Amino acid sequence: MPSVTIKAPMESQDASTATAAASHSLITFLQSQSQNMLTRLYQKPSACLSLFRLLRPLERQLVMNLLWLDLSIPPSTMAAWVTREGKKPYQDALGTLARLHILPPSAAKLALNPTFKSGLRQAITGGGTSGSFGVLAENDEKHPAPEIEALDAYALERWETILYYMVSSGTGQFPAKPSAGVLFLLERSGLMASVHGGALQITSAGFQFLLHPPHVQLWELLLQYLQMAEERQMDLVEVISFLLMLSTTELGKDYSTEKLSATQKAMLEDLRDYGLIKQRTGSIGIPKATSRRFSPTRLATTLTSSSPPLPTSAGSGDGTHAQGFIVLETNYRLYAYTDNPLQIAVLNLFVTLKSRFPNLVIGAITRESVKKALANGITADQIISYLVTHAHPQMRRNKPLLPVTVQDQIRLWELEKNRMKSQEGYLYTAFASQADYEYVLNYAKQLDVVLWENASRRCFFGSLEGHANIRGFIERRQTAGNA
Amino acid sequence: MDKPSHLSVILDLSPTQWALCAQSTNPPGISLQAFLSQLLAFFNAHIACKDENTLAVFGALPGQSVLLYSSTGEVVAKDTEPTDPNTYRPFKTLDATVMNSLAEHIASFDGVSEEAPIGLVGCLTKALCYINRVTSNSSTPSSEGEGSAASVDPRILVLSVSPDQSSTYIPIMNSIFSAQKLRVTIDVCKIYGAENVFLQQAAHLTGGAYVQVEKPDALLQYMMMSFLPPPALRQLISVPTQDRVDFRAACFCHKRIVEIGFVCSVCLSIFCQPVPVCSTCRTKFPIKTLQRLNASRPLAISASTPGTPARPPAQRNGTATPATPRPG
Repeated sequence: MPSVTIKAPMESQDASTATAAASHSLITFLQSQSQNMLTRLYQKPSACLSLFRLLRPLERQLVMNLLWLDLSIPPSTMAAWVTREGKKPYQDALGTLARLHILPPSAAKLALNPTFKSGLRQAITGGGTSGSFGVLAENDEKHPAPEIEALDAYALERWETILYYMVSSGTGQFPAKPSAGVLFLLERSGLMASVHGGALQITSAGFQFLLHPPHVQLWELLLQYLQMAEERQMDLVEVISFLLMLSTTELGKDYSTEKLSATQKAMLEDLRDYGLIKQRTGSIGIPKATSRRFSPTRLATTLTSSSPPLPTSAGSGDGTHAQGFIVLETNYRLYAYTDNPLQIAVLNLFVTLKSRFPNLVIGAITRESVKKALANGITADQIISYLVTHAHPQMRRNKPLLPVTVQDQIRLWELEKNRMKSQEGYLYTAFASQADYEYVLNYAKQLDVVLWENASRRCFFGSLEGHANIRGFIERRQTAGNA
Repeated sequence: MDKPSHLSVILDLSPTQWALCAQSTNPPGISLQAFLSQLLAFFNAHIACKDENTLAVFGALPGQSVLLYSSTGEVVAKDTEPTDPNTYRPFKTLDATVMNSLAEHIASFDGVSEEAPIGLVGCLTKALCYINRVTSNSSTPSSEGEGSAASVDPRILVLSVSPDQSSTYIPIMNSIFSAQKLRVTIDVCKIYGAENVFLQQAAHLTGGAYVQVEKPDALLQYMMMSFLPPPALRQLISVPTQDRVDFRAACFCHKRIVEIGFVCSVCLSIFCQPVPVCSTCRTKFPIKTLQRLNASRPLAISASTPGTPARPPAQRNGTATPATPRPG
């Protein structure tokens, strides 16, 4: 049974990362929403623009090709735009756009959803009266807009608090706790679970989450938030359009809360906890006295772009180099130039750490350390991709980037774990005669449900799906034989 | 595949040509004003495609070439107006900056140096330098896993209204070679006027699109479909390329566009008539060869006027060279 419980979240995780590579997770989420809701969402130019950015390149180009056409065009004309290699991606793109109700499928005439068309046109040409790109607060002498550095530090502190809390749960340390809302979200998303009603413990999904790039992490949490919003009777359109609006705002500017709806004002508090926005609050304990202005942080403004959503991690040098700090050698030794507790804690998931210096951690990737990670539900590919994305600039000169021996060995260790595969099914034994046995076995083979057979013992093992058929078959045979 | 792309746009701002273009009825023309409004929408669309997409706009004015806008912020609009909540901020800054610097430069000359040819070559080289800087900057720190040059997809779009200047043949060719080396795609959009031989070659040699606009009202649609897709996407989306490319070259001696030229066998300089001494590398050719070549010359060549010769059949193999003089 344990193998089943671990496997289920892993599979769903794999599926979601696979679709993320193809299509953004928000797009996948929206595809399951009703047309009514999407049309309401498309009324905001900022939402149109942000969604447009989340589409895949070919989808974007198709939308742009159609955007300025007033007439609808026959599908055959559109199909002529793509080259022969583009046929398959083109069909995929049409499918996605149709599910998003941006380009309703039609056999005769194709045209963009009029709401989306006017929304995106307005976003590009400007004008209109929607005010959907955020209303700037007037300059205030007393409270100037926060510095970009201050915003970055704030976002980083918030975000790392969440991650560090996750990674150090169950290790006996007690780091700063994120707010109750965040904890609830973590529990709901299955990243953490409370064991026997006790403190929250990180789950295997949570371990995988830690190794994802920050963008994916952020969207994973936000999607969970969207699902929660539905249950909390919040208007999903308002929630999504606010998130998309934030992604079009500018870093280091103050925005006014006056034009926001009640739902969106309620969201401000949650987003503050995640570090997406910064808002001056009144004295502690009086939540009502919040400022009427808020400033989006880099986490929010880069929601729909691929530039790094977090500034440098504390203490690892200047901006552009912050991503890379790991040096991995062919002898499995790993040097991490960091003093960030979060990064060290994450490394500790799959590395045996040996020594620590003020700016350097030395460890080794061993069979035990990797097996521990695998037992936590982390996959070999996730370890490798984490090492690749955080490789030190010096490592970037190597081709391939990571030593091949180490990569292969990590994969081999994973294979070791997968030597056994469990499958549920039924064992059919005690056949009266060899003829009987072969007759039933043949039938089962035709259904392609036989997993194992042993002719000398007259038994075979069939999968779960085939059981009803096989049973029916045997019963029919028996009644026919009796009659 | 989904990586940021850089676009450098070169605007041909020849006042005479734009005046002609605005008045033209057959083929229909377009005024500079209408052109700019469609152009700004195209710029915004380029930035809208991806947050990290970058843009640089160069203006080819008579006798000079100027940078009108760049994403890295070399040009700043003087007056920063209060933002309005109905427009995406980066679009607003972009549009305001382009319009301001354009107005500034156009106002700065009033028909004084009207006759000077436009600085198209200057723009091309500046654009290439800019791209070189952008790509070499971005490649060092942030290279994403694999190769560095692949981190941005640079391309140049030339919006041309002026005819060929045969005197610029050599510098344009040199720019094309540098573009090939930098792996920059050059797209050409001919808004007004006859086909432009050199730019056609530029587009062909760098794998770009060459579009002769027939309905200037629909310019935006032309640009969206042909010039918006970054090179990586063009494997999937077909963009118009030429089926006939005019490969004629300009001779080095009189800057005429020639159909049949004479090529120095040492340095490959092109001449419209046999010369005893190569003006580039000073190689002397034997008098016998000269006589033979002169005798074999078709008579029509000497009559062809510089600038606008009759359109020859498309040639696929470069400059036709009937005979090559051999040095002693």
